[in-house]
Parts: sequence; C-alpha cells; structure tokens
Amino acid sequence: MNWRPRIVAFCCNWCAYAGADLAGISRKQYSPDIRILRVMCSGRVDPALILKCYEQGADGVMVLGCHVGDCHYLAGNEEAQKRIESTRELLGLLGIDNRRLLLEWVSASEGERFARTADDFVATISELGPLRGDARDG
Amino acid sequence: MTVEESAAKYRVSSCIDCGKCTWGCPVSHKTSEFSPRKVVEEYVGSGNLSRDKGLWECMTCGMCTELCTSGVKFHEFVREVRPSLRSSILPETTHSDIFQIIQNMSSFSRIKPHTNNWMAPDLRIDPDSSTLLFVGCTPYFDVVFNHIRNDLLEIPRSSVRLLNRTGIRPRLLEHERCCGHDAYWLGDQDTFERLAEANVRAIEATGANEVVAFCPECYTALKDLYPRFLGHLDFEVKSLTAMVGEAVKDGKISLCDSGKTLTYHDPCRLSRHSGITQEPRDILRGMGRLIEMSRSGSMSACCGTSCWVNCDSSTKEWQLDRLKEAETTGADVLVTACPKCLIHFSCAMHEHSSQSQRSSIPISDIHVLASGGIQNP
Repeated sequence: MNWRPRIVAFCCNWCAYAGADLAGISRKQYSPDIRILRVMCSGRVDPALILKCYEQGADGVMVLGCHVGDCHYLAGNEEAQKRIESTRELLGLLGIDNRRLLLEWVSASEGERFARTADDFVATISELGPLRGDARDG
Repeated sequence: MTVEESAAKYRVSSCIDCGKCTWGCPVSHKTSEFSPRKVVEEYVGSGNLSRDKGLWECMTCGMCTELCTSGVKFHEFVREVRPSLRSSILPETTHSDIFQIIQNMSSFSRIKPHTNNWMAPDLRIDPDSSTLLFVGCTPYFDVVFNHIRNDLLEIPRSSVRLLNRTGIRPRLLEHERCCGHDAYWLGDQDTFERLAEANVRAIEATGANEVVAFCPECYTALKDLYPRFLGHLDFEVKSLTAMVGEAVKDGKISLCDSGKTLTYHDPCRLSRHSGITQEPRDILRGMGRLIEMSRSGSMSACCGTSCWVNCDSSTKEWQLDRLKEAETTGADVLVTACPKCLIHFSCAMHEHSSQSQRSSIPISDIHVLASGGIQNP
C-alpha cells in the first residue's frame, strides 16, 4: 500500500516556524509527510481552518506555537488552546479521532523538539490510517 | 433543468410587475441592490438572468411567493438556478465557512458522526422504537455558539422529554448526518444528494416508520426535499412542534399556566414552507397569554439570515428591529421553534446591539419552554 499520511502543520512565526528552521539548519531529519504553513500566531488558527484541512484531504493537523508565557502577542497561544478545545469537540461530533489533532509548543531554540514532534505525530497518524482514503469520497 | 424550464415550472412569466414581492422581501429592505421583482422583470424582458451576486442574497424565506397574486414561486426559481451559478460565483459564507465544511464532511462515507452527546439520565430512549428522533446540527451549534447561548442542548433533551410524555420512547440514529437543507438551498446538489441518500439509507435500515424532527429545516428537508430526489420514502416525517401542539389540544399533554405573556416568531420553514402555524400557538396558549406581533403566521418576518451566508450589519439591524417588534407587544418572552432563529436573535441581542437599542426580552425555544411547563399527572 502506497498510502502516506498527509499532515498540515500550522507553525507560529515567532517560535515554531523558527524551530522548524533550526531543525533544518542543524540537519535534523524529520518526516517529509508534513506540510508547514506559517501563521503569525497559533491563536489565529480557528476551528474552521483546521476542519477545512481535513475536508480537503489532510489526515492530521498540528498546531505549533510558543510555550505558554512566551507568546509574542502575550496570550495568543492561550487563545489557541481554547480554540483547539472547541475543535476537539467538533471532531468528536464528526466521529474523528482526537489524536488527529495535536497542539504542541516548540520554541525557536528547539529544532530537535520540532523534528521529534513531527516524527511522533506522523507515526500516530500512520497508525490511525487514512481519514478519508485517496478517493474524494473514500 | 435549464433556466427556461425552471422559469416555466415556477411560473416566472406570470409576473404582473406589481412589486408586492419586493415590498415583503427582507433583503430588499436591507439593500436596494436586490429586488425579486427586478430579477423577474429583467428575465422576462430579456430572456437572460443576470448572473451576479444578487441571486445569492435571497434567503429563500418564501415571503415573495406568499405575497404573489400571480403564483410566481420566486424562491423556488432562485434555488433552481443556483447550482449553475456556483461555477461562476459563490455565496459569501459566515463563520469562516465552518458550517459548510461540517456539512460537506458529514457527507463523506468514511466519516461517522456521533451527535448524541447530550443524553440525560431522565431521558427514555428505546433502540427498537418505531419512532426515530432526528437531531440535526444543534450539537454543532452548541460548540460554535456557546458564548452566545449555552443552553442549546436543552432543545434535543426537551424534545425527548416531550415525546416521552406522549408515550413515545424514540430511537436515535447511531451515525446521523447533516440533513443537507443548507446544501439544497445553496444549490450544492452533490452534497445534498449524498446526505439525503445516506440518511434515508440509515433511517430505513432501522425499520422506523416515523421520523420526528424538532428543527424546522430538518423537517422540511426530510419531508419535502428528500422525496423530490429519492421519490417515495418508507417512513412518515413529522414536526415535533406540530405533534406537541396536537397533544396539547387533545389533552395528552397538560401544561402549567406560567402566567406570562408570550409572543411567537414563526420560522419560515415551519410557517410558509410547511403551513404549521396553529400548532405552536396551541402550545403557547396552554402556557400563558399569547400576544401576536404584527408580522406573524404566514406573514412572519424572516429571522434575517439563512444557510450561514450573507450576514452583515444590515442583517443585525433587521434582527434588532424584529426584537423591538417583539418587545413592543409587551410580551415577557419571545418564543421560536427553530434553533437557527434562536441563535440569530440571541446573537443580535448579545453581540451586536448598543446599550441604547438593546432589547432585553428573553428568547426561548418552544420545545424547551413546553417541556419545562409539563404538568405532572
């Protein structure tokens, strides 16, 4: 079977995206199954944006932001936490496994942590299998 | 169906250009850019339908059709041309598209929704019942609109309590999908048909011969829209509001007089689309004094938004105006029978009104109110 998970990773501009950069600069290897999308703050990622990813074929979504207390906008990541909670409730109603959504904190100095988080998530999603299958309505 | 066929089917050429439709149209009150009369006039005059944003403005509330003395079914005509409109221009959705996404996802065969997260210990459910309660999207609304109303799940709970009181222990679908009402009216035919087929298959597999819906949109979708595409269905579809109204009239349910004055907002899908206007009033008369707003029954004002598209400041003004209308009747409570009307009015009141124009009239769902007023035997 040639299926590989399709994963969207929303990374905040100030911490997680820089962490991903550091992982690259430090030559850390991580799974090619993740597609990184840079957002200014993890708090910007609302439930609709996350659900849209699944609707369009993603098997998993990661939201990565600054550690609590380190947010460039003071409390954007706390907003992200609330939004992820609501999204999890919606996923529950849609019968989608909660493990397909991950919220994690990665600072700009944590390249290693970024690579590990990405790999662990890819492993989880690989275990869960495709959400919809490759056909548009699989 | 081509535009010509649709026009003939809904008698568009019978228009006598009187303008009653535009007088009654809630969108024409908001913006002078849209007028049912103008759309029809242009089409009849030139044979061409202007394919612009205007056709997405219509809320398909059916007021124009109600008022038309020539039998033009304008809202049905608009819906019929919408599928072909989608390739060039899409409607402006609200809430970042979330309800369209949920609706679409709910139509995927691998997605198995679990929307029965609102059970309470006193609710009596029977997995072998011949009556099925269709829950609809209220559990999703409860998550998204919790900051506006945190009591939305009381609606399905109250619905089960009311059914229990009439001696019915309903069953629920294990994996209930969205009814597809919004997809239908927004011309998203594929999604609608997928949802309709999946729901009908699931309902028929249970062997239930009666489906009850508390949401007017689910009710019209299952009762009127599904048979348009799937032909005859093996089960009967009933509105919970109508069932409770009849039960109150027949004395099967006795309600306590709250001593309050109540006014009722008719949801368009229940009143104009389904002709259910008396039954909800029978319920309310059993609970207090019913006082009517000037726009009521089949002439009821629209709640201002439909299918989660086109909501702006003029929508909110329209809704605040309706709340003022309710308040000036002197009623203690504004009652409605549609979860969406309830959300739209609550949103206008709590999120979009200034101190000076704020209405303070409590807004209630008729099923929650009735369930709370059941007299113990």
